[in-house]
Amino acid sequence: MALVELRGVCKSFRKGDETITPLDHIDLDIDAGEFVSLMGPSGTGKSTLLNLVSGIDRPDAGTITVAGTEVTKLSRSKLADWRAANLGYIFQTHNLIPVLTAYENVELPTLLLKLTSTERRQRVELALEAVGLSDRADHYPRQLSGGQEQRVGIARAIVAHPQVVVADEPTGSLDTETSEQVQTLLQRLNKELDITMLMVTHDSDVAAIASRQLVLDRGKFLEQSGTTPTRKAEGDEMIKQFG
Amino acid sequence: MTTYVLKTLWRHRTRTLLTVTGAAVAMFVFCFVGSVQEGLHRLTTGADADRSLIVFQESRFCPTSSRLPEDYSRKIKEVAGVREVMPIQVWTNNCRASLDIVVFQGADPEQIRRTRPLTLTEGDWQTFSSQRDAAIVGRNVAQRRGLKKGDQFSIGEISVNVTGIFESSVPSEENLIYTSLAFLQYTRGLDAAGLVTQHEVRLTDDADPDRVASEIDAVLRSGPVATRTRRKGAFQASTLSDLVDLIGFAHWLGYACVGLVLSLVATTTVMSVQDRIKEYAVLQTIGVRPLRAMRLVLAESTILCVAGGISGTLLALAALEIGGFAIGAEGATISFQPSLALAVTGTLVSVFVGLAAGIAPAVQAASVPIVNALRQA
Repeated sequence: MALVELRGVCKSFRKGDETITPLDHIDLDIDAGEFVSLMGPSGTGKSTLLNLVSGIDRPDAGTITVAGTEVTKLSRSKLADWRAANLGYIFQTHNLIPVLTAYENVELPTLLLKLTSTERRQRVELALEAVGLSDRADHYPRQLSGGQEQRVGIARAIVAHPQVVVADEPTGSLDTETSEQVQTLLQRLNKELDITMLMVTHDSDVAAIASRQLVLDRGKFLEQSGTTPTRKAEGDEMIKQFG
Repeated sequence: MTTYVLKTLWRHRTRTLLTVTGAAVAMFVFCFVGSVQEGLHRLTTGADADRSLIVFQESRFCPTSSRLPEDYSRKIKEVAGVREVMPIQVWTNNCRASLDIVVFQGADPEQIRRTRPLTLTEGDWQTFSSQRDAAIVGRNVAQRRGLKKGDQFSIGEISVNVTGIFESSVPSEENLIYTSLAFLQYTRGLDAAGLVTQHEVRLTDDADPDRVASEIDAVLRSGPVATRTRRKGAFQASTLSDLVDLIGFAHWLGYACVGLVLSLVATTTVMSVQDRIKEYAVLQTIGVRPLRAMRLVLAESTILCVAGGISGTLLALAALEIGGFAIGAEGATISFQPSLALAVTGTLVSVFVGLAAGIAPAVQAASVPIVNALRQA
């Protein structure tokens, strides 16, 4: 059984008189330890899909099951608890809490779990070490570079030992060099810590670090295991275009 | 999470400081108004107010216009239910409402000592009894006028030698200056030999105050001056009737202060939440429950309000303690005193207002549409 299962997921938005359907009966399976990247033109529903898997948005139809929990059935409070224990979210713009130090930002998710202060401290220190920022623990976000901020964001996403980490354009706001550092870090976390990852990106080079690349267009996946060869060819073409 | 709340408040320290200051000022006024109302309540209720009667000249209000024969006390003593009568000559520097009223009461020193709950903090009773122009001064008057034992104090036609300072369990007493009866009667200009302003009647335990009051007036009807006798509390409320109305109205000022704090803290908290709506979306994305997000906002508003409220309350209590304020009219005074009840009320009001002020922004933070908020720049 896949760690993440999407079955018949639909999501529509009203924009004036028009109804936009970025996700139209989507099916997707992601296995434990897999690193999946999701590409596609703007407005095709990549981030929407990520938000649905994260449980911060709800589908109009279909089911989403993560690690055996059907997240589409959970209440808002239960979803929050589920996210705290099972999901790490890496934002494009870091979204660190500006009044908290790097250490305190990383510590935040652990405060929501039943951990002793020693366990909490160990986890935070390990997470900061994993992203190479142990020496920046006492720094505030304003004292960090963009790449360092993103690495703190990544440490925050993995500190609770989640089942899945989702990343929304994690390198979107970084320069090339910093972007490469973050890519290497994500790859390392996936391989060394066996963290399942679902990443949205516009950049085919970034997408290439994933073990599986998906392209979303007009509400459907163009390239996915089990899709028709024609659709796969369209997907390959689109990946090339992005490149 | 407490760190987050405190650091958030510190991040906007100017806004926080202004809000706390505003809340402190409003709670200062609230406590001040509360102390005036407490003072009035103390003056018009309690055992002394109910179990003592004041015999005053009929249809007269200002102490200078009530002139009763001193020997009325003999006739009053004969009325059943009367335990003791104390003839008192009153002199005040101002019959109208004033914040710096000086009231002299002249009576037999031995009776003053026996009937009034006074404790001399400076001086002794012996000197007070033996010197003709001796005066013992209430703590509040001494504080306001900077008087101490050995000072000569003159006001109007009266000049006394301060032989003692006293404290009292009845706060309004601390706004009085006591002299001997004869001294006030023979003060130049008062022309009150053989006359007194009022007779204060203490009742036996089983006496009905209203019946005794009627009987006293009936007995004295045949005398040269008609009287009106009332319970001490009712007499003082009537004497201060204009102020009572004003103080009654002032409680709206107290409510207005509470409203002011509420709107001030609510505005600050709403602004703070709206500025950080994305932050609340991030917190909920990483697993903070909506209820917990609400609690964070409520903690923020309550800290603001309690910090301001407690500061304002403490400042008010300190000002009341140090200032020895009182307002008076026609010889009666209302003392503004700090009290534990006032401190507790101020603190509780701050907590409740803080929670109330946070409700709307807390709901906003908890119900934030996460996806939309995350898209905000």
